[in-house]
Amino acid sequence: MARLRFRFRSIQTHMVLAFTLLILITILAMSIASYYMTKEAVKSNAQVYTAELVNQVNNNIRAYVNGMKDMAELAAGSYVIQNFLSVEAFADPEEELYYKEIISDFLGSMMVSRTDISSVSIFGYNGQFVSGNRDLELNPHIDPTALDWFRSAREAAGQHVISPPHVQPVFKDRYPWVVSLSLELSGKDGTKLGVLLIDLNFSVLNDMLRDIHLGPRGYLFIVDADGNIVYHPQQQLIYSGLKTELIERVLETGSGIFTGEQDGNRRMYIVKDSGFGWKIVGVAYENELVGNQRQIQLSIFLLGIACIVIAAALSLFLSRRIIQPIKRLQKSMQEVEKGNFDIHVPVSGTFETSKLAHAFNIMVSKIRELMWQIVQDQEQKRKSELNALQAQINPHFLYNTLDSIIWMAECNRTREVIQMTSALAKLFRASISKGEELVPVETEIVHIENYLKIQKMRYKNKLDYQIDVDDSLKHYQTIKVILQPIVENAIYHGIKKKKGPGLITITAREEGKDLILRVSDNGIGMDRDTLRALLEPAPPGREGRGVGVRNVHERLQLYFGKSYGLSFESTPGEGTTAYIRFPKIPSAMGGESA
Amino acid sequence: MMAKMKWLAAASVILVAAALGLTDWFHRMTFPRPARVEVIIKTNTMEFWQVLVDGVHVAAEEFKAEVRVNGPRTEADVDGQIAMVEDAIRRKPDAIVLAATDFDRLVPVAQNVIDNGIRLIIVDSGINADIAHSVVQTDNVAAGNKAGRVMQEHLQGPTKVAIISFVKNAASLLDREKGVREVLEGDPRIVRLDTYYVDGSEQNAYSKVMEILRKDPDVTGVIGLNEGTTVGAGKAIRELGLKDRVTLVGFDNSLEEIKFLEEGVLKATVIQRPFSMGYLSIKTAVEAISGKKVPKTIDTGSLVITRQNMYEEENQKLLFPFVRS
Repeated sequence: MARLRFRFRSIQTHMVLAFTLLILITILAMSIASYYMTKEAVKSNAQVYTAELVNQVNNNIRAYVNGMKDMAELAAGSYVIQNFLSVEAFADPEEELYYKEIISDFLGSMMVSRTDISSVSIFGYNGQFVSGNRDLELNPHIDPTALDWFRSAREAAGQHVISPPHVQPVFKDRYPWVVSLSLELSGKDGTKLGVLLIDLNFSVLNDMLRDIHLGPRGYLFIVDADGNIVYHPQQQLIYSGLKTELIERVLETGSGIFTGEQDGNRRMYIVKDSGFGWKIVGVAYENELVGNQRQIQLSIFLLGIACIVIAAALSLFLSRRIIQPIKRLQKSMQEVEKGNFDIHVPVSGTFETSKLAHAFNIMVSKIRELMWQIVQDQEQKRKSELNALQAQINPHFLYNTLDSIIWMAECNRTREVIQMTSALAKLFRASISKGEELVPVETEIVHIENYLKIQKMRYKNKLDYQIDVDDSLKHYQTIKVILQPIVENAIYHGIKKKKGPGLITITAREEGKDLILRVSDNGIGMDRDTLRALLEPAPPGREGRGVGVRNVHERLQLYFGKSYGLSFESTPGEGTTAYIRFPKIPSAMGGESA
Repeated sequence: MMAKMKWLAAASVILVAAALGLTDWFHRMTFPRPARVEVIIKTNTMEFWQVLVDGVHVAAEEFKAEVRVNGPRTEADVDGQIAMVEDAIRRKPDAIVLAATDFDRLVPVAQNVIDNGIRLIIVDSGINADIAHSVVQTDNVAAGNKAGRVMQEHLQGPTKVAIISFVKNAASLLDREKGVREVLEGDPRIVRLDTYYVDGSEQNAYSKVMEILRKDPDVTGVIGLNEGTTVGAGKAIRELGLKDRVTLVGFDNSLEEIKFLEEGVLKATVIQRPFSMGYLSIKTAVEAISGKKVPKTIDTGSLVITRQNMYEEENQKLLFPFVRS
């Protein structure tokens, strides 16, 4: 759980999520926009196409109707027909038959090569009937004058009448579906003679219209001026009341486009007025106008998914690239956390991360420096502690000396008191040296001389000393108060325990870059163990002997390094020699350099 | 690093799976499998059924169904139809539309349809069991009533009326007979009302009516319960020259019936809307398949056609349908 949360809080996850989300939204917006734009484009194309189709159909129908009209004009102007119809009753049946044959041939000739025309016939008001097709007989059970096309031709008085499609029952044994053009015929004198009937095979129109599809479900229908449906592919459904059409709106719309909703489908109606009363209406389902709408949806959807997958992969890759240097940096930081400061992060990757790495490197080196500084400071602190130790030496000696002075004063040895006090004063002057740690060897010699003078006065004939240091060496620098503890040690542990007078000899010599001071006594000497114990750290709680000597050794090593310090040579019964080794530092460049 | 790789692999697998699933779902939403409907009619030789099948095809196109139409050669071939239904069940369609040739004998096989989880829509003629999801038919009792009322208008009593039924056990014919009898049985002018069966043959109907009219001159009313019986009776009446004395009221329509109407042999015919039946049966089947609630019965209505109204625009379309070639 915690791991998971950690994962969700990682930059990489954030970046991948952010990238993916960003791309998702972008792709979504783009897809939707492009989908709708495509849809609109296709839709308007489809609209144009539908309108063209409707126009085409309109032209075809007009061509049929105009063909019928031309034929009607031709027949109406025929003298033969007029003459024939104007005769009420032929005296001679031969003549009547002759007329009929001529007229039948005439009408028949108009039908030649017109498969769309089912029949051309004339019906005289005196009961005459002639058809262009001689096989046609009248249906004995039907009265032609009662039929719609006959009546309306009569009412129209010389104007063409186009009927809606209907079953033509006037001929025996035939019930064809036709569109009738009827026209009242009249003579030159204006007498009404009869009605001309031209039937157009409705199947011609039907076949033409039925094969027109506006999209998978779109269709075409025709209404006449009264709103009667002339043709509809689902006429049966309309008459059964299973379907309705927006006929009123079609009638309101002269020619044009409107959108209507029916059965929960938005449909586009493209209305075209044919000019002879019919209106041709193309109906297209709006959701089908874009024929391959689903395909477009699917392909855009799939493309979107592909893009998202690619985007996810890419963002993973990119974020890894960005994150990798940061991770490296993090690893290095963990190292630092563990305490390893000796690392250097390679400065690579993006600008920001390289900056970060650079800054980190600087920081680590700073820390390293600071830590070193702290070590230095610590050392410094230790030095000052040593200084304090060193300061401790003097009081010890001081009260011994003062004891001696008191003792001498009590014995009224005034001259000696003066001598001793003067020596003490000189000793202190030499040891104070303005608080500087380094002093010229000369000062140290002065110091030890006065010290020995004081001790000689205390020990009388028991102690003698000899200082033999070349003047050329006296200007070298040394840390102060290094001879006194050694001499003190020689006096207390060498000469004091010896019978008879002791001699302390102090000499100096150069050895390469080093200067060696030599302090030898002819005291009781030391055995090997004592000698070794001399420079080892004192067990806690047991100070005393060797404190001063060790202190000198430590200070020398601290100040000049491990290769410097004290060394002893001793032969029991014969004496001890201490060597003090330190580098030659001329006083001119004397200073607190380490 | 290993864990990360695993995580990555798992994520991509899930992503791909999700994408595939989504695509599949989208595909199914986008291109739904068309419903498969088996239509078994009574016979495929008569115009009535051709018009009905026309309606089936129009609906199939509109509602995107795959239909397969079958029917025995004659309405009397009940066994043939049962075999066809069994065949259809084996093809595991989503729905079967059935016009039963026999009221009782189709019941077991219809039950079999239901038991196989196939939607059953009854069209035109029902079965003696209330198991179909929907019944699309003319209210034949009401149609029978109409025929009976037309007959009443023409009758002068006392008289005898003969009802000619095509086959014995078809639901549509039983209902029509019932409807006719509901009206005529209460009429005091009618002294005798008999039903004759002609074994599914127009020729038999013709001979039977000839026989009745010759034997009993008191019979002045004949009702043919379907096209075959009406045409058979019409031929007999025309041949005997009895069109002014005998009132013939029929059912359904055909060119021959139209001629009889024009001639006056047939006083009226009660027509159904076979196109609507075919159309609505498929529409209902598709709705039932998609899980919509469908009405238990759908009445497609009937009309009385006489010589006077036969050329009215609406009636023309029903009487002279364009049958798809």
